[in-house]
Amino acid sequence: MDTNTDIILRTHDLIGGYGRTTILHGTSVEVPRAALTTVIGPNGAGKSTLFKALFGMLDIRSGTIDLDGTDITAMNPMQKLQNGMAYVPQGRNIFPQLSVEHNLEFGGVSLRNLPETHRRMERVYEQFPILKERRKTQAGTLSGGEQKMLEIGRAMLLEPKFLLIDEPSIGLSPILVQQTFDLLLKLRDKGVTILMIEQNAKQALSISDYGIVLQQGRLALDGTADDVLNHPEIGRLFLGGVVNVEGDE
Amino acid sequence: MAIFSQLLIAGIATGAIYALIAVGFALLWQTSETINFAQGEFVMVPGFIILSMMSYFEIGVIPAFLITLPIMLFVFGYLFKKILVEPLIPYGDFPLVIATIGLAIMLKEGAKIIWGANALPFPEVVSDQIIKFSGVRASVADLTTLGIAIVIIIGLQLFLTRTFVGRSMEATAQNPDVARILGIDVDRMVLYTFLFNAGLVTVGALLITPSYLAKFSNGETLGLLAFMAAIVGGFNQVRGALIGGFLIGIIENLGAFYISSGYRTAFPIVLLILVILFKPEGLFGRKEERSI
Repeated sequence: MDTNTDIILRTHDLIGGYGRTTILHGTSVEVPRAALTTVIGPNGAGKSTLFKALFGMLDIRSGTIDLDGTDITAMNPMQKLQNGMAYVPQGRNIFPQLSVEHNLEFGGVSLRNLPETHRRMERVYEQFPILKERRKTQAGTLSGGEQKMLEIGRAMLLEPKFLLIDEPSIGLSPILVQQTFDLLLKLRDKGVTILMIEQNAKQALSISDYGIVLQQGRLALDGTADDVLNHPEIGRLFLGGVVNVEGDE
Repeated sequence: MAIFSQLLIAGIATGAIYALIAVGFALLWQTSETINFAQGEFVMVPGFIILSMMSYFEIGVIPAFLITLPIMLFVFGYLFKKILVEPLIPYGDFPLVIATIGLAIMLKEGAKIIWGANALPFPEVVSDQIIKFSGVRASVADLTTLGIAIVIIIGLQLFLTRTFVGRSMEATAQNPDVARILGIDVDRMVLYTFLFNAGLVTVGALLITPSYLAKFSNGETLGLLAFMAAIVGGFNQVRGALIGGFLIGIIENLGAFYISSGYRTAFPIVLLILVILFKPEGLFGRKEERSI
């Protein structure tokens, strides 16, 4: 990254994985503040694993993660939430049998304050009228796009400064993908830093501010989204050469 | 018709007890993927402990139950999780299955050594009489059992759906990974389900032992019935295990009278086979999706 860029999150030489398998081989990335940064890379590059490491869900053997001056390497998910980080993983992450309202309520678990949670739910409803409309319905009956809205709304309940979002577009129609991206841009404009993984690298980079390319668990390239998009090597490797139809990992 | 209604009430009453045991079973599976093959023994043991408390302190069955309950919560809730389940969870479902089977054998043989091989009589919570109302005959003991079981089931359902802690338990049961991401204290919720299970089996023991008598081998039948109830209703649903329990109780009672009492234990198995053939996720279960 450019030395003048205001960096909110920095990882230094992260090494980690699942059990004996090492997936992150010394990953060092920098994420600029109040910007939308997209992580791209081939399957198995460690994109989702990096997110899990950032959110405290992976065995980190060495290396550090620094969020806005705080060392958050050893924190558990609860502590990360309390430090302003939220995570929307890949796939379906709602409780299908609970109502939309009760799903949303869980966004506030880490506040340990139910009245405050309910106040914030009203604010989320203002941003996501569709959720308010359907607050009493079973979350499992929502469409794929609405479920993603619910997940993002639930993450926003904590008013995080840093949002990790893993493949929000998966399974969504092109219109809904556009809507989801528009929503992320709106959040960014409000000052939220967003780190996103996307399979559809071209489309994601075209709306992003910055890009990070991972390869075999290491940083291969970073820079503004345009720089990454226009890098000849990247174009050949990820944007046109190989079509990935399977999910990551 | 009078006989039918009496059998039906008796079936629902026994079914309600199976439901209690099956719900505990399903809760453990949902929150920690523990298939507790010792669940039947978990019902057998407190039956004996209640009897021992009654003779040692010379007290009635209810006070003895109240003394037994905290012991069960500690040993079969807390210690069971800490000593047996927690160390094995990282190794997947299968070692845990074997471990609970081992625990079942240990409890069964242990009970035989301590309390003997003979069936001991166990008092009813209320004295058994037949009452009649508008031509329907029912046993007071059955109605009491049913009443207690239903109060507990409704209480549990209200707790799980109307309170935040209850919903957090449900959320943990439905998807522990997502629960963790949201900051739900998954370990604590899992502990709660173990305590709930210990409580449910103790109540189950209080209600079922009068008809089964206290016998070291009770666990085999009861564990199997709870297992079948959970499968019939749907393993991944508290509601499913409940309904499965009731169904099995009713089928067992009606089948035993109208077809043959010799096949009493066979009827639930027939039901189980039919469900597995035609609706493997259980009557009220959710199909499990696995992403790769």
